[in-house]
Amino acid sequence: MLETINLSKSFKGKKVVQDLNFYLNDGESVGLLGPNGAGKSTTISMISTLIKPTSGKIILNGVDAVHKPGEIRSVSGVVPQELALYQELSAYENLKFFGSIYKLKGTELEKAIQQALEFVGLEDRKKDLVKIYSGGMKRRLNIAAALLHRPKILILDEPTVGIDPQSRNHILEAVRALNQQEGTTILYTSHYMEEVEQLCDRLYIMDHGKVIAAGTKEELLSILSTEDKIKVELSRIDEDIVQQVETIEGVRKIEVAELQLRIIAAKGSNLISKLVHLTEQHHIQLINFHTESPSLEDVFLHLTGRKLRD
Amino acid sequence: MIFWRDWKELLAVLLLPIILVVVLNFAFAGLFGDDDKVSMDLQLAIVNQDDETEAMEQLNEKLVNEAALGEQEVTAIVETAGDIQPIQLLSDYLESDELKDWVTVHSLEEKEAAEKVKAGDLDGMLIIPQGYTADSLYASFAGKSPTNSLIYKMEEETIDSSALQQLIQGFINQLNYQFAIQEITDGADIDVKLPEGGFEDLGTEHDFTITQYFTISMGALFALFVVTTVATKTGVEIRSQVFNRILLTNSHPMRFLIGKMVSTIILVILQIIFVLIVSHFILGVFPDRSLAFWVGILVMIVLLALVMSGLAAIFTAILLRMRNIDAANGIFMLVLLLLGTLGGGFVPIYMMPGWLQEIGAWTPNGLFLSMLTDWVQFENLSFIVQPSILLIGTFLLFTFIGLALFPKRGKAQ
Repeated sequence: MLETINLSKSFKGKKVVQDLNFYLNDGESVGLLGPNGAGKSTTISMISTLIKPTSGKIILNGVDAVHKPGEIRSVSGVVPQELALYQELSAYENLKFFGSIYKLKGTELEKAIQQALEFVGLEDRKKDLVKIYSGGMKRRLNIAAALLHRPKILILDEPTVGIDPQSRNHILEAVRALNQQEGTTILYTSHYMEEVEQLCDRLYIMDHGKVIAAGTKEELLSILSTEDKIKVELSRIDEDIVQQVETIEGVRKIEVAELQLRIIAAKGSNLISKLVHLTEQHHIQLINFHTESPSLEDVFLHLTGRKLRD
Repeated sequence: MIFWRDWKELLAVLLLPIILVVVLNFAFAGLFGDDDKVSMDLQLAIVNQDDETEAMEQLNEKLVNEAALGEQEVTAIVETAGDIQPIQLLSDYLESDELKDWVTVHSLEEKEAAEKVKAGDLDGMLIIPQGYTADSLYASFAGKSPTNSLIYKMEEETIDSSALQQLIQGFINQLNYQFAIQEITDGADIDVKLPEGGFEDLGTEHDFTITQYFTISMGALFALFVVTTVATKTGVEIRSQVFNRILLTNSHPMRFLIGKMVSTIILVILQIIFVLIVSHFILGVFPDRSLAFWVGILVMIVLLALVMSGLAAIFTAILLRMRNIDAANGIFMLVLLLLGTLGGGFVPIYMMPGWLQEIGAWTPNGLFLSMLTDWVQFENLSFIVQPSILLIGTFLLFTFIGLALFPKRGKAQ
């Protein structure tokens, strides 16, 4: 098990990560969610032993990994946010180079390269130079390079930034397969809510260097269990009706988008019947309405007051 | 492999020096003769303050008064000395076939000569002091040091004025040598020979041509470029997180540094050998040289490559310590330009002022150039032992600095 205790990092006196307490059980898939600048990458860098924490501990199976970084390095593979690849080499040559640094040799190395290429779906393009790859292919190769030594823990720092949907799906499928079929422990950071929702068993939500919520998806959603989210489509919207909807008891937030009202209201506030009544009074036709369950995005909005990708 | 794939960099490092050697060879050919040998037009003023007609009388007096010789002995010496005319010998020397093409002699009064030297119209002036003939003859017959010697004056030290000074010194040495022989043989069969003119006087076995100069200096200069290229690639590895990925493989950070040094050694050796061999085949730079000569060249290239690897170690360590990679690369380029200039990579070293030449001789590329210059001319191991030790010392110093600067955790900032 990997655990951090009061992990903190400061740069020039500014605290980037503050008292982070976090754990990762064997075989788990855990997401680290937060907007840009939340401290996710710094956390990943500390956990992967690239930078030393200002204070706090990182414990891997009872061993202090801050003072013995080799403990984590030997069992983990890191997929950095940047493309840590030699652009002038082919995919095969890149993997051969990194594999040899992992001290893999001969048939063992060739097998590892073959498996990694197959895993990310690049075996047909292995002889092409990386610099002519698409962004998505580079990202996939970036992952393959971290898999050569078959790590027990795979740490991925926003691996899908700026790529096409097809490559993104390929990466997500590959990570899921690693976790579910190979039993690899996953630590996945992203600011794409749907990715972490799709991949992770547990989530940590970070903002301004702190963990502001943690738990399973259901546990996080329960933060908003007292609210309903309702979308209403009207034939026309005027200021008057918006003001009157805001005064309905139980309405906590209202957003207007063209002919649509998005309303967050307390559960059991009997909002629909009151809305029907109001629209009749204003001679506005109620075209459509539906009630939505709150998403993690809503949880984030609720906790931080801003959207994840703001 | 990364280096070989970067064809622009490859072309720059391999072909550019050869193109420059060819271009510079033709551009500077006008400064030198058709056969590439050094050709100059040295302007020398001779100020003769001695009266040769009185020389024998003066010698007679000196032998009687100072050497206390008998009349018969003095008469014999004066008679013999009458056949020797040092000033005429000097004149014959300067107007000999070997020298007349590149030394023009002007007989002037001291004042006029001094003005022309000061104005830069003449490269130097040689004053033959009063009593020089008698004094030098007396000194040779009495076995004493002459009290009156030729006086050479120049306004400032340039390659031309220094060459003149060497020529005159060569003449004086040769004259003294001949007199010494005469003393040993007790004056019998005196045959004072003129020294041979030209740079051959320095005792070279092979001429050193401008083509050879540029081939060696360009090879050394582009070896510096190889170091900055290795540093630039390191910068890319740090920026793109490849270096971090290497660290995370649990490999010792020092392996990265040693890897950089080894790759620099290989690249520099291959690059200089390529420049030398291709230039040789295009321009016939080192014709008719022995296998031993080429082995010597290879050893010197390896020594330079070692120094360059030390420099690469320093650059790598600095890159890992600096936050701004672009600033670091800028500093490296400045170092390259400085070493390149001082070491004679951009301007022929002999065109630079003496003090700059002295500093340049301490740069790795300058040392390499000077060592190879000696090797090409003399092919004598004794000439290259000291610079070789200096290069090895520089390699050890640079490596030590590189290791000392290398971050302990190997972490890039």
